[in-house]
Amino acid sequence: MGNYVFKRVLMFVPTVLLLSIAVFFIIQLPPGDYVTSYVSRMSAEGEVFTSEDIDNLREQYGLDMPWYYQYGKWMKKIITEGDFGYSFSYNRPVWSVIMDRLPLTVAITLIIMLFSYFVSIPIGIYSALNQYSVGDFVFTTIGFLGVGTPNFLLAIILMFASFTLTGDPLIGLFSEDILREGLNFSNLGGFLKHLIIPIVVIGTGNTCGIIRTVRAQMLDEVTQQYVLTARAKGVSERVITYKYCLRAAMNPVVSGLAGSLSSLFSGSTISAIVMNMAILGPVLYEALKNQDMYLAGTILLTQGFLVVLGTLLSDIALAWLDPRIRYAERSY
Amino acid sequence: MDGKETIISVKNLKINIALDEGTLTAVRGVSFSIDKGETLGLVGESGCGKSLTCKAILGINDKKCSTEGEIFFDTDAEGEVDLLKLPPKGEQIRDVRGKQISMIFQEPMVCFSPMYTIGNQINESTRLHITKDKKKAKAISLDMMKKVGIANAEKRYDQYPHEFSGGMLQRALIAMALVCKPKLLIADEPTTALDVTIQAQILELIKELQKDLQMSVLFVTHDLGTVAKMCDRVAVMYLGKIIETGSVEQIYHDPKHPYTKGLLGSVHKIGTKKQERLFSIEGTVPLAMNLPSGCSFYDRCKDRIEGVCNVKEPEVLAIESNHTVSCHAVSRTIKGGSSIE
Repeated sequence: MGNYVFKRVLMFVPTVLLLSIAVFFIIQLPPGDYVTSYVSRMSAEGEVFTSEDIDNLREQYGLDMPWYYQYGKWMKKIITEGDFGYSFSYNRPVWSVIMDRLPLTVAITLIIMLFSYFVSIPIGIYSALNQYSVGDFVFTTIGFLGVGTPNFLLAIILMFASFTLTGDPLIGLFSEDILREGLNFSNLGGFLKHLIIPIVVIGTGNTCGIIRTVRAQMLDEVTQQYVLTARAKGVSERVITYKYCLRAAMNPVVSGLAGSLSSLFSGSTISAIVMNMAILGPVLYEALKNQDMYLAGTILLTQGFLVVLGTLLSDIALAWLDPRIRYAERSY
Repeated sequence: MDGKETIISVKNLKINIALDEGTLTAVRGVSFSIDKGETLGLVGESGCGKSLTCKAILGINDKKCSTEGEIFFDTDAEGEVDLLKLPPKGEQIRDVRGKQISMIFQEPMVCFSPMYTIGNQINESTRLHITKDKKKAKAISLDMMKKVGIANAEKRYDQYPHEFSGGMLQRALIAMALVCKPKLLIADEPTTALDVTIQAQILELIKELQKDLQMSVLFVTHDLGTVAKMCDRVAVMYLGKIIETGSVEQIYHDPKHPYTKGLLGSVHKIGTKKQERLFSIEGTVPLAMNLPSGCSFYDRCKDRIEGVCNVKEPEVLAIESNHTVSCHAVSRTIKGGSSIE
């Protein structure tokens, strides 16, 4: 097990490095760069640029070099100084722009993930053990609706519902008093209230997906011969469900952890715009539109880093869950 | 009957399976009993209801199966109890399972959960039924593993099923079944999935342990050679019914029912000429759904009597002590050909 974890951790660094190259390469692919989009925006407002001005700007930002050179410079600064570059449009170091929103983004994503697991796994087990019962049908219907409804639509519907019922559309993550005083104990309730819609909106698809997976897996497991063997030796149904079936059924849920992490990151962007949430998604969207390459690159790199980290954790969890994975690793 | 102690008696067991296409009557009134220390062989083709009968005893059949009849078992706690009357998830039946009646299955490779060590799964039985004390339980489990011939038991205890060979897994399965020293062992084709050489070892092992623990065995198989080796009495099943029972000698040397004769005739014997074709029973087992009246073997029977066999189901007829058969043709020859009209 220790060996397995060590190897996986070792793989972590090259993976992130390759990821950064891919990210940087793709970001500079579209024609034009920040200067092009800056000049066209300024020209629209009546500014006049000579070609010399434009070249100067390019040189100033280092955009006149080939992409791999720019990448090398970027990487070198990240590694040696922890400097992720400069955001052209914010006129601030990229890292400070990101740190405004990263903690909140990670917190919300984690809350949503925990929420989906806590809700979906028990429901999935219930649905499997009571297949074709009324409860199963209800959850299955909700599940399909949840997977099928676009997040932003759900967001609009819920905000509208909240507005008609309470007069407060619950837009944004913070109510006004939090923005004024900062988050403290007395307004924590208000903050949690504002979390409801984001969690439901962003988490529903993920939750419903896990319900379907757990249900299908559990149905598969309960017909296995080893369940019959366990029953024949007098093991109670509870132990059969939780010790035997659930552990085997968790495999795809755990291995899907990284996947759902990345889909939460990317899937939340539109919802975040609709709900005016101060998380990274909308910033990334703007940065990509303005060709603010270091900002976009760093956000993508951060998200990628978190997804790779999630993969690492799910790999370790998987090896802990299923001895066959540990064994296969040993025989290499 | 002859002063022996009966451990279990199954009376008129019927099992229906609810399918989308209708109700399938898989077991249609099976009765048998097993004495203490005795081995009863239950023989029949695939799909004749052998496994369902076994699982019905433990009450572990699928939800789709509904079971009727009576299964009286001499329990430790309360004496004779009808197992079918116990709630299938209740504590009473769970105290019988694994402790008083154990079962070993056909395919040892899928009988263990791949997620836990062999030791963990054997020890689960021990801790459930014998002692909660971790150290004592482990000692008992290890002892049983050694008894069934698992070498290096201490090391094997912490290994996973995928690190075991098929034969070793069957040994482990037997250890798991016998660790609580049950009164009755149900062996559902325990050697079908194994190599021939391993088969012999496993059969020998079961026999030895049976003598050791003085338990009764219900031995299910479609292999007649195994029956001759293992059993005291044989019950031949066809399409959910027992059509002939008797001692091993009676069945092998003086089979009465045409189906039994056919089964024995289809066994390859050493010394037969090359040109001789192996005998086979014509046709296939019909699906036990909407069976026509009369004997269910009628279509495939060589001795069938039209107007009798396809009209009325044959009764159970006792020929000698312990030898019974259900066949119109047999009863006609015995009673002089006039009794059934």
